[in-house]
Formats: sequence, C-alpha cells, structure tokens
Amino acid sequence: MTERDAMNDIGNQAALREPCVAGLFSDEGGASLHGARCTTCNTPYFPKVAHCRNPDCAESKIEPCSFGGEGVLWSYSVADFPPPPPHRYDKPFVPYAIGVVDLDSGLRVVGQMTDAVEAMRVGARVRLVIEPVHQEEGKAFTSWKFKLL
Amino acid sequence: MQEVVVLGVGMHRFGKTGDAIVGEKSVTELCRHAVDMALKDAGVSWKQVQAVSAASSRFSGGKGWGLNGNDIVEDLGCTGIPVYNLSAGCAAGGNAFNIGYSLVAGGIHDLVLVVGGEVMPKGMIQTSGVEDANDPEYLRQRCVGMPGPSFWATLARRRMFDYGTTEAQMAQVTVKARKCSESNPFARFQKAVSLDEVLASPYVSNPLRLFEICPVSNGAAAAVICSKSMARRFTSKPVTVATSAVATIGFDDALPRSLAGPVPSGPSFHTEAKAAVMRAFETSGIGPRDISFTELQDNTCYYELAFPEEWGLCEPGEAERLLEAGETTPTGKMPINPSGGFVSFGEATTAMGVFQIAELTWQLRGQSGGRQVPDAKVGLAQTNGLGGNATAAILKR
Repeated sequence: MTERDAMNDIGNQAALREPCVAGLFSDEGGASLHGARCTTCNTPYFPKVAHCRNPDCAESKIEPCSFGGEGVLWSYSVADFPPPPPHRYDKPFVPYAIGVVDLDSGLRVVGQMTDAVEAMRVGARVRLVIEPVHQEEGKAFTSWKFKLL
Repeated sequence: MQEVVVLGVGMHRFGKTGDAIVGEKSVTELCRHAVDMALKDAGVSWKQVQAVSAASSRFSGGKGWGLNGNDIVEDLGCTGIPVYNLSAGCAAGGNAFNIGYSLVAGGIHDLVLVVGGEVMPKGMIQTSGVEDANDPEYLRQRCVGMPGPSFWATLARRRMFDYGTTEAQMAQVTVKARKCSESNPFARFQKAVSLDEVLASPYVSNPLRLFEICPVSNGAAAAVICSKSMARRFTSKPVTVATSAVATIGFDDALPRSLAGPVPSGPSFHTEAKAAVMRAFETSGIGPRDISFTELQDNTCYYELAFPEEWGLCEPGEAERLLEAGETTPTGKMPINPSGGFVSFGEATTAMGVFQIAELTWQLRGQSGGRQVPDAKVGLAQTNGLGGNATAAILKR
C-alpha cells in the first residue's frame, strides 16, 4: 500500500475523519456548509453572521441555513506551490485547483477541487463534498471541496 | 479647500534583503534615504515640515505597532510635530498620501511629509499567525489553502473565459513592463525579458507565472506636499494634486475575499479600485480620456488588462488589442505603468502608493529619461490593499 493509498484508507473511515475546523460544515445527511440567510433580503452567508451585511436590506433577520448540492464553477486557480501556514498538506505536495463556485442556492463560495487541474473548465457543473485535506496523527482532517459532475 | 502641490519626491531603489541594493538596511534607513532625497528635491528643511503622514507596516519597524512614522521622526530629530500612521494593507501608501493631501487641502497644515517603506519577509505574504476561527483569513488558509496569487489567478482565468485572453497576451504585459524598467534607476529589476522567458517561468498559480506576479521587495518612497500659496516660496513649477481619493469594497463584489458571498447580479469586479478611481474623476472634473498615463497596482499583469477597461480608459475587451499594438508603452496612446510597475519593482507593500506619486511627479516634470511619456500632462495613480481598501490620485502639470 502506498502512502497515499493509506491516507485514502484512513480518510474513508468515518471514525478517523475530523473537520479541520469544527462547526463550519458536516457530512451527515449530505455534505453541507453551515451558514445563514437573511429572510428579509434573501442574502446567503457562510460562515454564519450575527447581522445582515447588505447595506440595502431594510431589516436584518438572520436564520441558520445550510448550503450544499450543486453549482457552477465560476472560475478557478491552482496552488502550484504549497500555501504558507496555517494551511496544512500531505507531503509530497500535489498542486490542486481552487474553485470559486456559484451554488444553485445563490452562494458564491471558494473551495478546493477534488479533480485534477487538467480537468477544470469554467462553467462546469460541480457538487459539494466533504473530503480529507491532510492527515495527521492517524486522523484525516476534512474540509469542503467541489467535485466535477 | 486649499490647492495642494507636490514639492519634492524621493525613493530608495527597491531590492531584496541581502542583495547589493538594500543589503540589511532597516525600514527606517530606507525611509530616511527617500525622505532626505524628497526634502532636498523640495528645497525644504526638516524643521519646516509641519506633520508626517506615514504608511503603517505590520512587517517591519514601527516598534511592532505600525508606528513607522514615529521611527522616522525620531531618526530625523523630534520636533514635536503630529504624526499619523495609516494602515490599509498594500494601499497604506496611497492612504497616507490621501491623509497628507486632506490635511493640506483642509488648511490644517501647510507642509506635510508623506512616506512609506517596507522590509518584507520572504515568500508569500502570510496571515497573522493567530489560529482564530473567527478570522476569515485563517479559515480560508486552513480550510481551503488559497494564498494571494490565487485571487489574481481566479480573476485572470475568468477574463480568459469572458474575453478569450491568452497566456501569451498576459506574458506580453510583463515584457512591456520590464522593457520600461531598463531606464528606471529605482527598479529592482532593470533588465528586459523576452516573451519566451516569461512563458518559460513556472506557474505560481496557473494561469499566472513567476514573471507575471510581483515578488516582495524592500524599498521606500517619500513626497513633500504643500499648499499652492506656500509653494511659491520654493518653486515656480510645482506639480498640482488634482485630487486624492480613498474607497473600500462594495457589498456585491464578484470575488469573495473570505470564504463566500452572494452571487452578484451583474459584473462587479474590483469594486474598491473602481470606486476610488471614479471618485477621483468626479472630484477633479478630469475624465478618463484626459489621462496622459496611469500607474496602477500591477501585483499581476492581469490588472493591466482589466483596470483600464473598468475605468473607461478604453473599451471593455479592448485592452489586449491596445497592448499588442504597443499602445500601453510610454509612447503609446494609453501608457500604463511607465515606471515598470510592481512587476519590475516588486512590492514593498506600504511604499507603493508613495512610489506612484514619485513616478507621476517625475513624469509630469519630464524627468523620466528613457521611460518618459511624451508631453505628459495628467497622471493617474491607483493602489489596492487587503481588507477591500483602494486609493486613487490624479496629478497634473
């Protein structure tokens, strides 16, 4: 088993997976980002906010709201070199694409792409997933990512 | 409002820690060099300076609190004058110029020193280092891993989709910039590069390559500004500050600066930069077609294509054609960054807004040598900074 296979093995065992930051997202009942929405002006937020930030909104009414499902790749970039801390990654570093995705629910959100850089194209349909970003002390630390459909 | 002029400017050549240009010089030493040059250029003595407006750095000097202006005043000799330390990320130099301008225009002071300088840590600019889940910068790096160049690459990729911009066209911007740098004694790089050399440089963040992204540099710049009535004591041909403006990002900006935002209803790129430049046009009564040349914040060559269109210097989708026709060179119809720009200087973050004022002044005086814009009458300068900050200034003969 290669090192990367071993990591995938750990990453696939739910008990050994842990969010890289707690409370922001979850995988139970489908991948979702825990944000909020203002019910007055319909503005979506991720992460959660205490008050609506839309200067044209008449009255802030913030309700918790989860975002997931599908969207469109608005644009993307590539991390050709390892980003500086506090980012953490498995060595050897493998360049990855970073998508800016317009979810069908109206949220534009950044996230790593699970597919190879060469497969990226602006306008592609994608789906939100929760996947490992790096492994440490026998655990796979996860984050939200996007997968090409 | 008093009319404001630039009396004198100065600069320390940009370089990299340990090289023959800046060596191990501290940010205060770099600034001192630039200030001495600006005072001499203005014909002003230190004791005539009534206030200091300084760009505040989180990377170097400033007693760890961004008090860079106080360091400079101590070095020049404490005269008890007011010092303003301004923080606005990479737009801090532009912000410091704006505060200096406002103090003179508003009649609070007649003669103000504006200064910005930086000794940068190596590599990509990092976040604060504090692991705080309430800090969107931390969350973006920890959960996604999206450093600064990724923002520029995302926007460049979208332009390629919208307008069919090619990688060779983006590389051509660098070729143009580095050609200008050959005749700028203050640029860190003063050697032209070929299209093949640019295209052979590795990707930092695909589609952007090493030669298409400004590195971090050490450097400093200073400007002495004063009221027009006072200027008569020093010079018969001052450069006039037509306006100075500051703006911040709009709620509907296209690119989420933390993790997410609402999908905008229409095109809304670089809202902070556009707002600052539009405000400058509005307050000065000078329009985009009156501009002889522009110094804009080219952290990456992409901005040289996008910004002129958004500000009305040319039509949307026209920038590539103007570039290829040589119209963005100093002798073209729409000269952009005759100094060589950030791509040739590297970014000494908080110095940049003042660096642009120095280049505008030299161009408007006709002192720019081989990079001179013929008959330059009106110059536009623009900076961007973390936090959604932007500044613009227009100087004229």
